[in-house]
Amino acid sequence: MSFFKKYRDKQDGTIRFYDIKSSWIKFISILIFLACIIMVVIAIFPALWVFLASFKDIQEFRRTPTLFPNKYNFNVFLKTWNELHFLKYYLNSFIAVAGSTICAIFFNGLLAYGLAILKPKGYKIVTGLVMWSLLIPATTSMVSLFVNITRVGLDGTFLPLWLAAGANAFYVLLFKQFFEQLPKELIEASELDGCSNFKIFYKIVFPLSVPIVMVVAIFAACAAWSDFLLPYLVLSNTDKVTVMVRLFQFRTSNTNDVDVLRAIVFSIIPPIILFTIFQKQITQSVVSAGIKG
Amino acid sequence: MREKKSSSILHSISAWLIMLPGLILFAFFVWEPLLESIRLSLYTAKGIHLMDFVGLKNYIAVLQHPDFLPAIRNTFLYTFWSLIIGFLIPIIMATFITETVHMKSFFRVGVYFPNIMPGLATVMMWGYLFRPGKTGVFNILLSALGIQPFDWLASPAWTIPLIVLTMTWKSAGSTALIYMAGMGSINPELYEAATIDGATPWKRFLHISLPSIFGLGKTLLILQIISVFQILYEPLVMTNGGPNNASISVMQLVFRYAFEDYNYPMAASLSVIISIILVLLTAVYFKATKGKKPEYSTN
Repeated sequence: MSFFKKYRDKQDGTIRFYDIKSSWIKFISILIFLACIIMVVIAIFPALWVFLASFKDIQEFRRTPTLFPNKYNFNVFLKTWNELHFLKYYLNSFIAVAGSTICAIFFNGLLAYGLAILKPKGYKIVTGLVMWSLLIPATTSMVSLFVNITRVGLDGTFLPLWLAAGANAFYVLLFKQFFEQLPKELIEASELDGCSNFKIFYKIVFPLSVPIVMVVAIFAACAAWSDFLLPYLVLSNTDKVTVMVRLFQFRTSNTNDVDVLRAIVFSIIPPIILFTIFQKQITQSVVSAGIKG
Repeated sequence: MREKKSSSILHSISAWLIMLPGLILFAFFVWEPLLESIRLSLYTAKGIHLMDFVGLKNYIAVLQHPDFLPAIRNTFLYTFWSLIIGFLIPIIMATFITETVHMKSFFRVGVYFPNIMPGLATVMMWGYLFRPGKTGVFNILLSALGIQPFDWLASPAWTIPLIVLTMTWKSAGSTALIYMAGMGSINPELYEAATIDGATPWKRFLHISLPSIFGLGKTLLILQIISVFQILYEPLVMTNGGPNNASISVMQLVFRYAFEDYNYPMAASLSVIISIILVLLTAVYFKATKGKKPEYSTN
């Protein structure tokens, strides 16, 4: 049977190609394959349901116990989009995402360049502090951070969101690990040529680091899009409300359920697009980031 | 010689200048707020302005608050359930995907999908799935099996396990990918040698595959406990801590004090208490990974 032919090339895992001779193992392999399909269905079903249920109108949603809508009409999405002014929230979110991504690359990259390559006297203390920050959860200092932001008068602007992305220990570590593997000869050679430290960064280090810059950019963009606690605290009562803040505000408003469902759909579309384009980079970097350490 | 020395000082200065912007941001967004929390927790305040030094009074107020014990108890329940549900599921998922040869990369991408969903959208979405009454998604599925509708999040005994289930749905995929990489890097000769010695596949799984991800599991377990400890927006959005405080978490209590009661000193005190517990947990983590560089995951 052709289903089992492919097991001849199986390189990893407990079940080896020679086990497939036994019909019991054949049976188990089929079960495992089915279990994988079920896992993916469970992973995708909730999002798919939200999308499909968004086509229902409010009566249908409240009264009929069916999973899927009677009719599919894309205009309902347009209606909610316009009525809730989602264009504005999208634009605000994009501003937040763009600024955060740039800050995440620039500030964390420069700090990591100092820690991984320049290594001035005393850099080890900073490395230690950054490592510890990795384990200090941001949420526990949220209150005092918010108080500080208000004190310096940055509330109501995008600045705190952008700059906060520039102080991320995880990104610093990703950059640092990558920079440490760059060929030292190149950097030493340009030092001898009299290049300044900053010039070496943007002429040599940065162009060689495109893969890790991409990874950090993807992570930072996703994180900035999904973040809601800091944006909620800083932007809540302004005209700079982001998509996530708007979603959170549904908690205390009486918008009808199908509009909320459609808003959820709007909020997950950009990450899905990003994921579809960069799935390889994303899944690989999760693994390498999780294991190396 | 002298020239070299002065150029190395210049090198150091310019290096520190390059790091300075990042350091300032770290100081403002990460390090200073930690100290500020401690300071804030020792004062009374009007809004964001500190008034009088009151010592540990805020801490006593936090500890005596009627919501404190439920929140602590729930936090342990969250941890307990996430050990039961959240720890094993990624290992099982990783095993299954490792042991199959068909559509592997599709499965990998598929199970990772929930990870890219924004956290807030995820919990709102699951709130709808758990809707009580006949029109909730899970109740529709149950009624197809002839089972009566269930209250889900509205029944106190079920709130926490269901919230943990939601968290697991979102994060299991990325953890599974990490385990898969661990399983994939096991030397195949081990399995072959075991087979020659007569080990059945099940025995090979128990004695080779599982032990080789043990270290990884230990690390991820502690990281998971640390992250569950800070659970905030799942109960905040899905149940608002209810029914009757059955799902309120300590971080949610911080949120309530700070941004609903505007009592920043009390919120800061509770933050400090949580930070101390987390530092202790982190120390355990370092001990468990035996002085290795800190490992981390992306969740």
